[in-house]
Amino acid sequence: MIDRFSFSVAIRHLLYYKGQTLLTMGVVAVSVTLIIFLGALIGGLQKRLISSVTGAIPHVVIRQPERKPIAVWEVATANGVLYLGERVKLQQQKRKIEDWQSWEARLPTFSDNIRAVSPVVEGQAFVNRNEKRKAVTVVGVFPEKHNGVVDIQSKLVQGRFFGLNGGEAVVGFKLADEFALKLGDKIRVVSAEGNVGNYTVAGIFDTGFSAVDSATVFIPLRDAQSLFGVGNAVTTIGLKLQRIFEAKDLAQQIALQVPYETRSWMEDNQQLLSGLRAQSQSSNLILVFTTIAAGFGIASIMITSVVTRLREIGILKAIGATNRQILQIFAIEGTLLAFFGAIAGAIQGVALSLALYSIRVQVSETGRTAEVFPFDLTPDLVIRAIVIAVLVGLAASWYPAWRAARVNAIEVIRGG
Amino acid sequence: MLERNGDVVCELRHVDKVYEGAVPTPALLDINLQVRRGEFLVVLGASGSGKTTLLNIIGLLDTPTSGQVWLAGRNAADLSEEERAALRSRYMGFVFQFHYLLPEFTVMENALLPCKIVGARMVEQNRNRVKELLVRVGLGDRLNYRPNQLSGGQQQRVAIVRALANNPELVLADEPTGNLDSKNGFAVFEMMRFMNRETGTAFVVVTHDERLAQEADRVVVLEDGRIVKDEIQRPAVTHEL
Repeated sequence: MIDRFSFSVAIRHLLYYKGQTLLTMGVVAVSVTLIIFLGALIGGLQKRLISSVTGAIPHVVIRQPERKPIAVWEVATANGVLYLGERVKLQQQKRKIEDWQSWEARLPTFSDNIRAVSPVVEGQAFVNRNEKRKAVTVVGVFPEKHNGVVDIQSKLVQGRFFGLNGGEAVVGFKLADEFALKLGDKIRVVSAEGNVGNYTVAGIFDTGFSAVDSATVFIPLRDAQSLFGVGNAVTTIGLKLQRIFEAKDLAQQIALQVPYETRSWMEDNQQLLSGLRAQSQSSNLILVFTTIAAGFGIASIMITSVVTRLREIGILKAIGATNRQILQIFAIEGTLLAFFGAIAGAIQGVALSLALYSIRVQVSETGRTAEVFPFDLTPDLVIRAIVIAVLVGLAASWYPAWRAARVNAIEVIRGG
Repeated sequence: MLERNGDVVCELRHVDKVYEGAVPTPALLDINLQVRRGEFLVVLGASGSGKTTLLNIIGLLDTPTSGQVWLAGRNAADLSEEERAALRSRYMGFVFQFHYLLPEFTVMENALLPCKIVGARMVEQNRNRVKELLVRVGLGDRLNYRPNQLSGGQQQRVAIVRALANNPELVLADEPTGNLDSKNGFAVFEMMRFMNRETGTAFVVVTHDERLAQEADRVVVLEDGRIVKDEIQRPAVTHEL
């Protein structure tokens, strides 16, 4: 329980020695500002890095395992005789998922981490227009479903993505520039299977991912099924997750339940992940040392305060203040200094982060802008910084408070 | 024994105090002393005669090497640290050579500090009394001043009122005039004498100023840690406030 006497002495002292109080609060404020600023900046950089990798791809992809041809000597025969012929024409079979509709319905129930499911027909094709020809990836989707996995709608520069009709296509702005395409223009697409489709450009997007913007064409799923000759099947099912770092575990879990192969973004980006881990560790190290420095700041000022107030403490003890009351005076002072310092620091840190976050530069000829400093400022980070500062304040004032409580009244009074 | 003798507020029985060190230094030797209710006792002695040690032992700020200290009917040796603190705040008041007022509190708040230590109820019970005492020592118009706005003599008067704030049985004063010029010192001494008569609180005042002793009810002279003279000059006041 907080003693009223200790509290009033602590408050009075803090208010009376304003310079010292502000100085100590400043030490705490600077470190809390630093913790919030660095935490938000590093968090934002990591988020940007991760989204630069995962922004244009599903977090988990489900597909038919690749069927590899086997070698002659691997073929076991019943009677030891192997017949070889040359008339058999091997046709490359498209890896496809026939029963995608039932999986599409069941997948979201596997984990609450699955945010969106999109069946996709994907294949390689050529775009032809006025003698020009370019290899592209054609992605057949249900636009409304696919947008939950890879956001295209909000990246549109012109036209529409949702409500795409048969015979319509949405292309990246770089591809559009290359072929001088405008909304309503026609393109001719020839698939690797030799099927041909004619599409009207209904939308142009700018995702910021060069490979996507220059060589991807979105068309309705049905059109893609006939273009690639997969019947009613799809080639992959893409998943978007809530907690993307659980992608690998979730992919393994799903693989046990579906008769297909699963692959997460994490397996394709091991190096990035280990880089991120190293970055997190170094940023944690910075935060730990900043916190320790703030702790020593509070402790040293509190110790000075105890030493300069020895007589005052002695008198209070002589007229009946208990050791507990003396201890509390300093513990309360340390905690209050840390708390209000932390609040001031939090305001500064948030303001600084927001100010720098608001600086934007144009990053694409379509006029798309992005922040120079990507901050990931969460209430969680701010609250954590304040709580840490208060705990450090309490811990840092413990030793000075203990020393104050041990003051021998007659020694300091006699020392007069 | 104290319970049977309601007139005794404090008693020392065969108290010795030896300061341990390379060479043990005896500070007090076989001290026997009873302080009676309402008594104004002056302890005289040269510097190093053990008078401050005597005061600290009575005030529970120091412990005797041997012998007993009885306060409020209890043997001090049986008290816990908390109980000693409680006795200091409720049963006794202290005045030191330097006033040691807290600069961040006003005159009124400083005088009320012993009550604040005990709790809010104690403050309410004594607020008017303390205010009255401050008026009587001539600080009625300075209640909201800070200590650094007062003269040395005025600060010491606040310290005396502070010692009386909890309406104690006993006030212990260690060279209360030592830091003042003789005129102010005498005025402060007179103030304590006046408070003693008004409130019936016993005072034990340690000093080396023999002129002040003439005003006391009783004079104890210490030499090299022993009481060499214990003389009652006039009967103590016995009334209650």
